[in-house]
Amino acid sequence: MKPAPTLSTAFLYPAGQSLPEPLLALRKQRGTALVDMPLPTRKTENWKYSSKYLKLTDDMAISLPAEGKTGSSLAVPGYKVAFLNGVMMPEACEYPDLDGISIQSFSDLSDEEASDLADRLDSTLDNKAVQMARLNSARFEDGLLIRLKPDAVLDQPLFIVHEVTAEASGSAFPRIFVDAGRHSQITLVEEYISSGSAQVMVNTVTEFNVAEGANITSIRLNMEGENVQHIGSTGVLQQRSSRFESHTVGFGGPLRRHDLQVRLEGEGAECKLNGVVVTQGKQHYDNHTTIEHVAAHCNSEETYRNIAADQSHAVFNGRIHIHQDAQKSNADMNNKNLLLSNGAEIDTKPELEIYADDVKCAHGATIGQLDEISLFYLVSRGIGRREANVLLTMAFINELVEQIPVEAVRETVQGRLNHFFEQTFQEA
Amino acid sequence: MLSIKNLHASVEGKEILKGINLEIKAGEVHAIMGPNGSGKSTLSQVLAGNEAFEVTEGEITLNGENLLELETEERAREGIFLAFQYPVEIPGVSNLQFLRTSVNAMRQHKGQDEMNAAEFMKLAKEISKQVDLDPAFLKRGVNEGFSGGEKKRNEIMQALLLQPKLAILDETDSGLDIDALKVVSDGVNALRAEDRAILMVTHYQRLLNHIVPDYVHVLAGGKIIKSGGRELALELEERGYGWLGLKDEETADSSATSSAN
Repeated sequence: MKPAPTLSTAFLYPAGQSLPEPLLALRKQRGTALVDMPLPTRKTENWKYSSKYLKLTDDMAISLPAEGKTGSSLAVPGYKVAFLNGVMMPEACEYPDLDGISIQSFSDLSDEEASDLADRLDSTLDNKAVQMARLNSARFEDGLLIRLKPDAVLDQPLFIVHEVTAEASGSAFPRIFVDAGRHSQITLVEEYISSGSAQVMVNTVTEFNVAEGANITSIRLNMEGENVQHIGSTGVLQQRSSRFESHTVGFGGPLRRHDLQVRLEGEGAECKLNGVVVTQGKQHYDNHTTIEHVAAHCNSEETYRNIAADQSHAVFNGRIHIHQDAQKSNADMNNKNLLLSNGAEIDTKPELEIYADDVKCAHGATIGQLDEISLFYLVSRGIGRREANVLLTMAFINELVEQIPVEAVRETVQGRLNHFFEQTFQEA
Repeated sequence: MLSIKNLHASVEGKEILKGINLEIKAGEVHAIMGPNGSGKSTLSQVLAGNEAFEVTEGEITLNGENLLELETEERAREGIFLAFQYPVEIPGVSNLQFLRTSVNAMRQHKGQDEMNAAEFMKLAKEISKQVDLDPAFLKRGVNEGFSGGEKKRNEIMQALLLQPKLAILDETDSGLDIDALKVVSDGVNALRAEDRAILMVTHYQRLLNHIVPDYVHVLAGGKIIKSGGRELALELEERGYGWLGLKDEETADSSATSSAN
């Protein structure tokens, strides 16, 4: 039997950027733990459908240099933070001094702040379930720490652009930690984009520590190029009566993976997770979500939709774990999928583990094709077949796109989706 | 305008239409009546170009042009309009978006400029009033959550917007109460014009009290077995289809059920 492949030692490359000592120490410690880390294979349950897309060659091990300029595809009003290859670019950031809210790069932290942060990084994630996130902890060059004091409210969305410049092969390790105090509120948009065409990997970790009564809206747009393998992990820890709403929009690539883990630790916490994925060509996208109902009286509502065209491959795995003490939990998970060609593949897997006896838990998953009768209805009104296909496909995900709470983001997403579908149906 | 010669059509290998002949001139209103399963709806679907139905023999021309060579959308652009018996619900596409896309596809075909959103909104609001639909419906998904009557009114609204050469109304009266029937009939009567033909497909003659046809044809077993003037419809109402020598199962009154054929 062939031994399981392990992470190449090339990836244990020492990171360069200067960070406060406590974070350097953490990174080193995490790096040591990565020696001989097994890479996921098709026998690894949570990578079963996706391990074949993971191609980490040694030339991708080096950290991409944080040089050059950044640009966002979102021309929007609001506060902006820009990262290039995982390193904050202060000259491209725009946000005022805000009362009760601090937005800092990791490298600007005092040793005391960094020490506090080092104790808390990775605390929202189940590292066994997101094994690839460990690589981020060993390699992050910089990061963004957002702290909201109790009752602090950010009055406009915060746009965080993470650009990777793929002039040569390499990796980037964007990192965000959000510490939301009691009854604070923030809407943040993470946008992942790329330039250049070399083979690169982006490995991201975003963590939300959500205190009692805090209200977080998180929008994540994955719009990187065809040369970017993206492995992202998001961890959310929610205390009593807090609310977390997430909208992820993903366009496929050679490897796209997002793990979203939400832990409802305080009574009355609720989360709403929406996700839209479109893939074409030979692209891939894999969303893995986990909702841990730890405390009683929590609500979770999850809706993901995938559209796969051509020979592309989309995966959804939704796990809901209702712990023994989580009585009166209310969990609703729904995943609908649209296959646009015979060559496309969609794998969907709901996983429910329920240990409490007084809960409401509903789940549904469907895979279908465009409805012929609807198509006939549209073309019988003179609408061209291609346009009718675009309308119907768009309709499949519009319900979710329309729920994105920031208009500028919604419009950008709709524009991108329209372009995507125009391309997909070009031949039809 | 429309000429159908010896039309045979099948669905899933089963022959439904077995040699239809029909001539409709501009300005005329024809009614096709017949028991359930006689092929009435199949004829409508074949005219509109539904690919689920295969034409095995015969020809259909519209103003001399061979319809069978045209795709559904091309037929629509040439002026064929089918008001569906069961209008389709399409959540996620708004009525406004649907109607404007349709009108602009037609305009583009005729070499006219597309209507912008504001112009179209004005037109759509006017016509929605004509069929007694609250303009708020324009923002909702296509037919989404509409009552049966609202769906039928939306079909007539589309006919009024698109101004077809030939409007085919498939069981447009089914599921309508008497008030809605009046609204729909007024809409259809507003469509009557010198340069337009209307083909009504119906099981009952009550619609024909509101929209008076010039000709009535009885379709049974995939063939037109009798044609006449308006009086034929009245006679059918009085005497039932049995009078024409049709078998019991073909004449069975099925007001409670409906058939796609």
